Amino acid sequence: MGRSARRSGVTSDRSPSSRPLFPSISLKGSPTTSSSVSEPPSARTSLINVLSRPRHHAHAHAATSSASGSSSADAGIFTTEDEFSDMSSTISSYASSILSSSREASSEDIAKVYRDYLETPFVKIKTSVKHSEFGHCNNPNWRWTSQWNPDEPIHALEEERPPYHVLIATYLSYLLLIVLGHVRDFFGKRFRQSHYSHLMEHDGYAALNSDFDSFYVRRLKKRLDDCFARPVTGVAGRTIQLLDRTGPDDNSSFELTGGYTRALNVSSYNYLGFASSTGGCADAVDAAIRRYGISGAGPRHDASTLDLHHQTEKLVARFLGVEAAMVVSMGFATNSTNIPALVSKGCLVISDEFNHASIRFGVRLSGASLRTFKHNDMHALEALLREVISQGQPRTHRPWKKILVIVEGLYSMEGSLLNLPMFMELKRRYKFYAYVDEAHSIGAIGPNGRGVCDYFGIDPREIDVLMGTFTKSFGAAGGYIAGSKELIDRLRLRSHAMAYAESMSPPVLTQILASMASIMGVAPPLAAPAGEELDTMSVASRPTAYGPASSSTLPSWFSLPTPLLNGTEGREKLRRLAFNSRYLSSGLRKLGFIVYGHRDSPIIPLLLYQPAKMHYFSQMMLKRFGADKTPIVVVIVAYPATPLITSRVRFCLSASHTKNDIDMLLRACDEVGDALDLKHGKQTMKVEEVIAAAEELVASNF
Amino acid sequence: MSTQSHSSSPTDIPAPLLPLLQLLSSVFLTLQSTFKRIPGSPIIVRYIKSSYQDDPWRSLLEVLLIAFAVRTLLMGRTRGEGAGKNFIKLTEKEIDELVDEWKPQPLVEEPNDLDHLTLSTVPTIYGPNGARVKLSPAGKTVLNMTIPNWQGFVENEKMKQVAIETLRNYGVGTCGPSGFYGTIDVHMKLEEDIASFLGTEAAIIYAQAFAAVSSVIPAFAKRGDIIVADRGVNFAIHKGLQISRSTIRWYAHGDMKDLERVLQNVEREQKRKGGKLTKKFIVAEGVFENDGMMLELPKVLELKYKYKYRLILDESQSFGMVGAHGRGITEHYGVPASEVDMILGSMATGLATGGGFCAGSYHVCNHQRINSSASVFSASLPAMLATTASTAISILNSQPALQSTLQANILLFRQILSKLEPLPMTESGVPTIGSSSTAGSMPPPPVPNKDAIIHIPSHINSALIHIFLLNPPPTTEAEERLLQEVVDEVVSKSDVLITRARRLRGQEIFEPEPSLKVCISSSFSRKEIEKAAKGLREALVKVCGKKR
Repeated sequence: MGRSARRSGVTSDRSPSSRPLFPSISLKGSPTTSSSVSEPPSARTSLINVLSRPRHHAHAHAATSSASGSSSADAGIFTTEDEFSDMSSTISSYASSILSSSREASSEDIAKVYRDYLETPFVKIKTSVKHSEFGHCNNPNWRWTSQWNPDEPIHALEEERPPYHVLIATYLSYLLLIVLGHVRDFFGKRFRQSHYSHLMEHDGYAALNSDFDSFYVRRLKKRLDDCFARPVTGVAGRTIQLLDRTGPDDNSSFELTGGYTRALNVSSYNYLGFASSTGGCADAVDAAIRRYGISGAGPRHDASTLDLHHQTEKLVARFLGVEAAMVVSMGFATNSTNIPALVSKGCLVISDEFNHASIRFGVRLSGASLRTFKHNDMHALEALLREVISQGQPRTHRPWKKILVIVEGLYSMEGSLLNLPMFMELKRRYKFYAYVDEAHSIGAIGPNGRGVCDYFGIDPREIDVLMGTFTKSFGAAGGYIAGSKELIDRLRLRSHAMAYAESMSPPVLTQILASMASIMGVAPPLAAPAGEELDTMSVASRPTAYGPASSSTLPSWFSLPTPLLNGTEGREKLRRLAFNSRYLSSGLRKLGFIVYGHRDSPIIPLLLYQPAKMHYFSQMMLKRFGADKTPIVVVIVAYPATPLITSRVRFCLSASHTKNDIDMLLRACDEVGDALDLKHGKQTMKVEEVIAAAEELVASNF
Repeated sequence: MSTQSHSSSPTDIPAPLLPLLQLLSSVFLTLQSTFKRIPGSPIIVRYIKSSYQDDPWRSLLEVLLIAFAVRTLLMGRTRGEGAGKNFIKLTEKEIDELVDEWKPQPLVEEPNDLDHLTLSTVPTIYGPNGARVKLSPAGKTVLNMTIPNWQGFVENEKMKQVAIETLRNYGVGTCGPSGFYGTIDVHMKLEEDIASFLGTEAAIIYAQAFAAVSSVIPAFAKRGDIIVADRGVNFAIHKGLQISRSTIRWYAHGDMKDLERVLQNVEREQKRKGGKLTKKFIVAEGVFENDGMMLELPKVLELKYKYKYRLILDESQSFGMVGAHGRGITEHYGVPASEVDMILGSMATGLATGGGFCAGSYHVCNHQRINSSASVFSASLPAMLATTASTAISILNSQPALQSTLQANILLFRQILSKLEPLPMTESGVPTIGSSSTAGSMPPPPVPNKDAIIHIPSHINSALIHIFLLNPPPTTEAEERLLQEVVDEVVSKSDVLITRARRLRGQEIFEPEPSLKVCISSSFSRKEIEKAAKGLREALVKVCGKKR
């Protein structure tokens, strides 16, 4: 089982026909820029202006084209991405393009350069998919297969800890914020009563919001509010377009300036890059809207079950390798309306401490007892299981009717992967029912994109309840529950969503059908592309063969382009995502950042600790201060989503990111990391070394 | 080491311990000096000394208190049953045996006969849903009177066009919750549209109406707060009430006298108990999902102001259905929507797209953006469902004629069916007062109509019509079967699709009585309505008449 076996097609000369989406390059030119580059001095000064241009301005500028000598716009010269990364880099290309222009670089020039980078591919391509939504990256070496390697630990029990001074500084920061907040509240309530009216009693009405409950939101989160809920427009693909806004009154309200900023998007849950306004899936959805309209109308049981619902449910079941499945129109509601249908009083739910809010919501509704165990700690789970089974129900000591253990496949704040092999061992021994929430892992993990079962090579039918969402990997909305036929029938009867909630709308169903079918490929399969070496390891190690979708399950009016039909594009996406995830996760670790989670996880949390750094990190990524000015949008997460001290920035990678994007992200993190003193771990490599050694880093165990 | 210490005489300090003692004393000295350096330390020392001198017992008590505090701190916050008195210590072997012996119940129970009936009678629509649908791929077209399609938005061509345009700009999913780059400009526009349509300060949208309702209530009502709710509210509200953990008082469905009685009781109780002023809410529906009755909003508003309550009004059914422009029951009664503190609505039923909303003051909506779990922890609404909802609102605004068609259709339908009701309608369409203000669960009024077999509590303006049997069979199951017979008869004889009201038997707080559910749409022609109503009447007479 050599590591090279997993590196699909590294050495093989693959025929271009196997990857129709990424055709070979028409002209191999020399790299356009020299590699010796210094930072442009003028760039730094006009940092702020860069990001607030109105859109029409931007367009006009783009139309006047390449006068400023931007590298990628030079007609006739196209480089492959391989060469591009070898000889020059994004950073140098920007800098040089700015330097090479005869006049002094203005903020507009810089903005144009990054816009070109984000919107125009470096290669000539034939596909209609926009580079800004799905980046073109055709180097076969930059692929990886997401699969369990028994030599790598699944979950580190003790996360890396920062030095004590960081912890103390963090606590002191919060202390300061809390004290300041209370001082402001104290004086505010006395001197600016109109601002506090909703927090105080008036006319015999109690305050609508308790000032104690809302203290965190008003006094701590509000300071960061310009980093949260930034309004956007367009597709949340590889890049995203922000609506520029200003907050004149300390983030109390925001005003849109009317400008737009296109930024690299490492925040959306677009793991496989199916969020797209063009391409095969969007065309299928287009056809569906014309045919079905947009409304799912009423609840499923009241004549709002379309044939499309049945087809989607069948395909989802086939995709997961289980008997039956059921779709619900909202991901949150999938948990909150189905868990109460499974357990009730006298049952016990054991839940991971970091489980999603929707699970807690559902458990609370069910009336079952709840115990939690330390995050992803299978020994703690075993100890708890032994205790609860032997003790029985509290007070009466009656045995529990049933025990449902609810875990997630991939944790959205931690990036940690469920230790499924050990979990299954415990399941066999302690006879509990397993409920695995694969909201984030489905599509994103596993050699076939089938989630944690696929990743660990475990038969999905051994897990009683499989839950997941379509919001993330499939670019749609809603969620599913899958399992045995008895289970799904029972849930159809008892699920709140089936009887009372709206059914899923046809365009969303179609997006699910199209994206899922393109990951699976549609049978009858086309002949395997010539020159394709067999992926021996993944075939041998998996007990369930995840086959293609049968064309009879799909609607008859459905037509997908060939790369989607034969599954090549889907596979390409899975492998690009796996490479990107592993590359960034490993790279950040080598740079000395404290990074949580599994290296195969597309969710990569980087620890920031001090609350002020969250704001700075988010702003410095958006308004970059180095030579490269390409804005990057990131998600910062703090209490209550994480423990108080471990506030973090969370990157969500996508198959739509190119390696250049990840390179740029690494450079940006390096820049900001030095400025903000974030490298609390041991830095073993410089950023350029990391970028040069990307493939080795991804392939190595550490 | 130990042998050495034994060899030396007991009075001497053993040699190897000397460095240890030195270390200890130096540590002690350092500690002492650091302690002295702490500002205020002499005060503590003085306090301890004088306290010991004056009252040694007090010192002892203080020491015990400190020890207790330390113990409490060390115990941790979450104490499982393991620490309780009830815990039985078992050996590992015993635990193993217990684990081996434990047999869990099956995850899902066997379905019973009624379950089979429920599952087998869920119709599948082949092709697009709408007013006229196909129940098999090549089957005949039937009239669909089961979906909330008040204004015919389900088949609206304009909305399809808008959806396709949106698809080409925004894709399908938003790939993130609204806090993390999931707030799209079209969401903000829809929120503005809803707010200005209803006339409230602001609005917030959710990805699903059911989740919106069950999540908004616990965002405001917490443990210790008081909620006075109508007994007939829908399932989603029940779930919201359950999550909120507030004190819940029920009043008889639709009975304003009882509401006032409950409000007075609460007031008296609070006066007696005293204590802090708590938040108080009245929760009700505009048009009740379970029977189509309409809330007496003016009276509720009067009581709400009198007793200082906030009103949470679920307009999931009434939004888009009643009022001159479909603004819901606030428009119907001519009350400004801003008087209602929180209006919940559904874009899925009223506008035939998807999702739900909550409209209210700026503070009410903003609070939910961070505190309502279905808003914070869920991906935002797909862009195309937002743009089409905006389109639907502009249609509602510009075409009030739709509403009059709908109302005419409802009236026609009700008139034909009223021949089977205890109090038949007069020509003007107004039924005798009383028939629509009593609850479905209450005994219907005396029967002047000898042929009466059904009872319709639904409001005369409600496009959602629930039909209850006057003399139901003894068991719920028999009643459900009888109603299903009616449904089957109507679809086979008259090509009209209606449905039994689907319930989650066993999970409801108050089991609603079985009923037939009919939804009227403005896209039906008068002829279709006539045909459907007559078909239903005949089926009811045929199926229920023979039983008597």
